[in-house]
Amino acid sequence: MIRSNQKWYDKPITKLILVSIALTWMFPLFGFVLSSFRPGESIKRTSWWDAVYTGNVWSELSLQNYSEVFRAENLDRSFYNSLAVTIPSTIIPITIAAFAAYAFAFMEFKGKNILFLFVVGSMIIPLQMSLIPLVQLFKDGIEIAGIPIIPALDLNGTFVATWFAHTGFGLPLATFLLRDFMMGLPRSVIESAKIDGATNFTTFFRLVLPLSVAGIAAFATFQFLWVYNDFLVANVFLGIYKPENLVVTSHMSQIVVGRFGEAWHLRTSGAVISILVPLGVFFGLQRFFIRGLIGGAVKG
Amino acid sequence: MNNGKQSKYLTFGISTLALVVFPLFWFLSQAILFRELTEQVTRNILVLIAIPFGSTFIFLLFSGMNKIINYAPKDSRDGLEARMFVGPSIFMIGLFLFYPSMRTIYLSFKDRYSNDFVGIENYIWAFTDAEMITTIRNQIIWLIAVVTLTLIVGLIVGWLTDRLNKGEAFFKSIVFMPMAISAVGATAIFKFIYEYRPPPLTQIGIINGIRVSAGDNCWNNREINGAFKGYDDASCVEPVGWLQQRDLSALPIAENLEAGGWLSNALINLPINTLLLMIIMVWMYTGFAAVVFSAGIKAIPAEIMEAGQIDGASEIKIFTSIVVPYIKSTIVVVGTYMVVTVLKAFDIIYVSTRGDLETNLLAVKMLDEFSKYRNFGRSSTVAVLIFVCVLPVIIGTALRERDNADA
Repeated sequence: MIRSNQKWYDKPITKLILVSIALTWMFPLFGFVLSSFRPGESIKRTSWWDAVYTGNVWSELSLQNYSEVFRAENLDRSFYNSLAVTIPSTIIPITIAAFAAYAFAFMEFKGKNILFLFVVGSMIIPLQMSLIPLVQLFKDGIEIAGIPIIPALDLNGTFVATWFAHTGFGLPLATFLLRDFMMGLPRSVIESAKIDGATNFTTFFRLVLPLSVAGIAAFATFQFLWVYNDFLVANVFLGIYKPENLVVTSHMSQIVVGRFGEAWHLRTSGAVISILVPLGVFFGLQRFFIRGLIGGAVKG
Repeated sequence: MNNGKQSKYLTFGISTLALVVFPLFWFLSQAILFRELTEQVTRNILVLIAIPFGSTFIFLLFSGMNKIINYAPKDSRDGLEARMFVGPSIFMIGLFLFYPSMRTIYLSFKDRYSNDFVGIENYIWAFTDAEMITTIRNQIIWLIAVVTLTLIVGLIVGWLTDRLNKGEAFFKSIVFMPMAISAVGATAIFKFIYEYRPPPLTQIGIINGIRVSAGDNCWNNREINGAFKGYDDASCVEPVGWLQQRDLSALPIAENLEAGGWLSNALINLPINTLLLMIIMVWMYTGFAAVVFSAGIKAIPAEIMEAGQIDGASEIKIFTSIVVPYIKSTIVVVGTYMVVTVLKAFDIIYVSTRGDLETNLLAVKMLDEFSKYRNFGRSSTVAVLIFVCVLPVIIGTALRERDNADA
């Protein structure tokens, strides 16, 4: 929107305040990213600002830390694990939610309102509330009065456990958001498709799903970043003690907590690597991410 | 008549098959398949299989159900289809979210091994145990300070960026960017700033670096004209382990405070480490607030702002009496989001101080009781506390949304 009186606003003081805020915000990152390119010994010998001040820093920059954190630290394995956790944990809830959202938006059935209330109501549950019983469920199953409803599956420490956990946590919001989005689609188009004899399955796949891409992308971006950056669920269901089960965040937590003393060259380079993927997703899909975030503001 | 009955049986049989037996079969086969794979194949192959198959396995569920339902009599198919569409969502929310949270409430009344009922003993512990009281105190400090700071800085950034002729998106992106960084990564970044190393080592955290190089003869281990200059001089300021400071007593400022009255007594208990850790969260979430506020500010009709200018209102006046009241509901939504996020804050504490040195928060305490002390009763109680704190905030949001929808 262009305001006719825009010039009235744009004063130097505004820019001054904004530039100082922006510099404050970037400052923590600057020294950190710079240090990720400095050899471990140099990081400890001279502070990075002294190195910048004397100009020595430019000659010592290298990718050494990055290859070390990849090769010696196996961060690449954690990175693949992260993808194996994140991608299904994004797609599964979206698929289930899209079907449910379609039914809530376009179908009539018994108990529709109560079921939708159940979905919306579940959004307020913080995930801490379900952690312990979920761990027990994945380990021992569910028994009611001695009859096993879900058998003991011993799932903890496998990817499936995190997929199901993230599905449970993400579904209420996903269903809610997608139903909201689908309600905004032109009803007449969907109804005319039904009159033409298309089944719900076809209408869903051929018509509603393609029309809902923006809504799906919003939630997908949100969920992807959420799962990729999550540490709690990975910590509980995959554990932090088996190195082959580490994801990027839990691996980083191990490095940061100080398994290796003052390994700042690994901490910095590892963190920079762990930041790259979400930053790429973020800048590529910022518009969708913000929409998903605002929708997620009511999540428990 | 007989025919109707038969089709009813058929419908019942098919719906059981499609909606109960097959989903259960699907669930178990996915779980068992991937559990076995985890043990059988190497990690690389597992990951290679897990990504495509884990993502597409869910489609088998829906297409399988759809295939089975196609055998049902035509007149009952619509009802079955609706259940097929909604069923998995309800089932998964029920099994993975609703049932476990109900069970958490139940477990919070039982002992550490979940064997015997102990009544409200765990809740009494939660409000009398010294560590828990500190945890609750910290949680309250976090709630007040982080939410307020995020909202205020977010408002300022949102308001100021809106006034720019150009570069608005650039400034917003910079402040918003930390939102994409994991809390673990953000904590690593800030630990580097707060870093403390015992003298005479070089201070590589910038706060201590500035501290120790203050003064005429103090250098942060620098080479100057070929001579190595350190700060290990009696007159130089000592570096401080910032995240270890639970109050001000170790800082030089404490000497001035000690003589004072109640205010300085309160000040001396200022939990420095908690405050410094809160900055991480403010850094992460301010951009989110700014972006949402900026969208709200853009929605303010230009006439209202112009009217303010014509009346000669100062900019601060316009901000406080036009902008803020106009986007009040947005402020409440962001505030709600922040309250919930702070209540669930976990990573920052876990990777910085591990909850020691009086920095603990409820979510970390919950996990500690669960995995460190193996006390399921207490852990559940802490989880219920988090839930009880979240509940009124969310219900408030829901009620407001309903009022808005009615209006």
